Amino acid sequence: MSAGVMTPSELRRERWRLRGRAVRAFAGRYARRRDGILGAGILAVFAALAAAPELIVGPLQTAVTATGGRLEPPAPGFPLGTDEIGRDILNLTVHGARVSMVIGLLATVITVVIGAVVGIVAGFVGGRLDGALMRVTDFFLVIPTFVLALILTPIIRDLVGSGSREVFGIRMTLIVIVVVIGITSWSSTARIIRGQTLSLRERAFVDRARVVGAGPGSIMRRHILPNVINLIVANAVLVFAGAVLTETTLSFVGLGDPFQPSWGQILEAARASGAPGLGAWWYFAPPGVSIVLVVFAFTLVGSALDDLLNPKRRVRR
Amino acid sequence: MAGSFILRRIGVALATIAAIVLLNFVLFRLMPGSPERVILHGTPRVTPEILEATRERWGLNDPLLPIVIDQSGISFAAENQFTKYLAATVQGDLGYSFVARGQTVGAVLAQRIWPTVLLFGLGEIIAIAAGLALGAYSGWRRGGPIDFVGNGVSLLLYATPYFLLGMVLLMLFGVALRWFPIFGMQTAGATYDGPIEQLLDLGSHLVLPVATVALGLIGQYAIVMRSSIVETLSEDYITTARAMGLREGRILRGHAVPNALLPTVSLVAINLGYVVAGAITVEVVFSWPGLGTLTVEALQARDYPVLQGVFLLLSISVVVANLLADLIYGLLDPRVRT
Repeated sequence: MSAGVMTPSELRRERWRLRGRAVRAFAGRYARRRDGILGAGILAVFAALAAAPELIVGPLQTAVTATGGRLEPPAPGFPLGTDEIGRDILNLTVHGARVSMVIGLLATVITVVIGAVVGIVAGFVGGRLDGALMRVTDFFLVIPTFVLALILTPIIRDLVGSGSREVFGIRMTLIVIVVVIGITSWSSTARIIRGQTLSLRERAFVDRARVVGAGPGSIMRRHILPNVINLIVANAVLVFAGAVLTETTLSFVGLGDPFQPSWGQILEAARASGAPGLGAWWYFAPPGVSIVLVVFAFTLVGSALDDLLNPKRRVRR
Repeated sequence: MAGSFILRRIGVALATIAAIVLLNFVLFRLMPGSPERVILHGTPRVTPEILEATRERWGLNDPLLPIVIDQSGISFAAENQFTKYLAATVQGDLGYSFVARGQTVGAVLAQRIWPTVLLFGLGEIIAIAAGLALGAYSGWRRGGPIDFVGNGVSLLLYATPYFLLGMVLLMLFGVALRWFPIFGMQTAGATYDGPIEQLLDLGSHLVLPVATVALGLIGQYAIVMRSSIVETLSEDYITTARAMGLREGRILRGHAVPNALLPTVSLVAINLGYVVAGAITVEVVFSWPGLGTLTVEALQARDYPVLQGVFLLLSISVVVANLLADLIYGLLDPRVRT
């Protein structure tokens, strides 16, 4: 690269070259984390299950299409046994992967967007707005949000009237769960992003942008957001783990949708049918192991990313 | 401790409780369906007159808020639903259960609160003792076999929903081995020769649920204590203690652990909100007659007054626990008292 003035196209190429180098350097550092690789591997397997359940086990079995006997242990034809109405547990678990992962993903998007907007605005604007937003954030941090979600879910369901409408191939009952998880779990994300924004606000490049006439909205979008995006990504992975657990627990207390069973819903059905008391381990082990593995993998990936991307943790190391 | 610190923390806690009470009112008004139909549920031959009398009797004809805005402008209403709700809530009157006819929400909650306190009190105590000990030891012997296994087990336990753990324990130790009972708080229809037998029966019913709660919590406490110990061990005063020739055990117990305990105090309090979620499901798995099973029963029957009572009770408990943790933290660490 010769010194002097670059043309816009050269500038663009140079920017992409630098970005590519940063991504490769990051991938190199990530590849040295054994726990991160293990987590990513587990997630890849479940992502494949969630992407194409029909290819692997065929369409979701229902009470009508079930072919097995009642609560039969694993046998040829039914590698993971059957449930109380004769459905193949393998079939249910693979289809459950899609439901649980999609709900987790959508809830994570809502959580992170609310958290990032509140955090950036509160940290950048400061003053009374910051005070007010942080009061609300602290409120959501301290109250038992799960119990709030428990009450909100049936109320919102009654308000929107579930019916059989679908959004993104997800039934309305589950969309309500997504929204409820989103609006009850953004507070810790907001806290983290606000902290980082506070320190970014004092940096020279923000002053420079202000001097050349950039408004607050444009500074937040073009200068603050790109600098907190790393933190947002690392946090989103951990939020995903929490969202999957929350969805599982909400389904377990009876707020799931039997027509689109998530792993939590299968576990609820297992408990309701008395599977643990009958020794039918094959009914709750597959969805249970799936949940534990997915949350475990997200925690591994999340903490590896956090170590590599979170500026506070990077300094300490 | 500085008086202003205590007063400010109490002020924040009171404001939070006020917000919870307000939220409860808003949620209740959001609910679809008319309350008078729930009140009259099962009454034969309801005439419009009976409906109207019920609305009048339960104050449903009063305006919602003390300030009324209509075509004639802004006026003030002395008889309104919000003020009545506020006055009743402050006096501890949470209304009547839709399902348990004629019982107040307060009475319903009172029957269920002690089993939960017993179960979670014991679970928390065991988890705190074992989790902190495991975390402290793993952090001290960082990279050792206990650390490797302990860290892996902690992460796995952290990723396991409480109720799943409960179902596994129930099947292994309750059904397969038949060591412990798996249902409720005492043997159904049992007669006891004395208080000791009764206590033993309660104790055997407690083992599996308490073990579930404790195992569910140990993971998180161990992880936090471990990272806290690792951080403390790199402090200068630990190096000083080593240079003075103190034995390792003495350094750990006398210098590292007391300082590393601080962050875990606030963690235990912050976590209470999540513990509540686990509480509900563990009780369901073992049919433990506490607030958790009450919540799920109320949820299935759409018994909103009881649900809101549970929310109010649990939220206030968590807020108060956080306040206590803040105050204890202030007592232990003078630096935060600003």
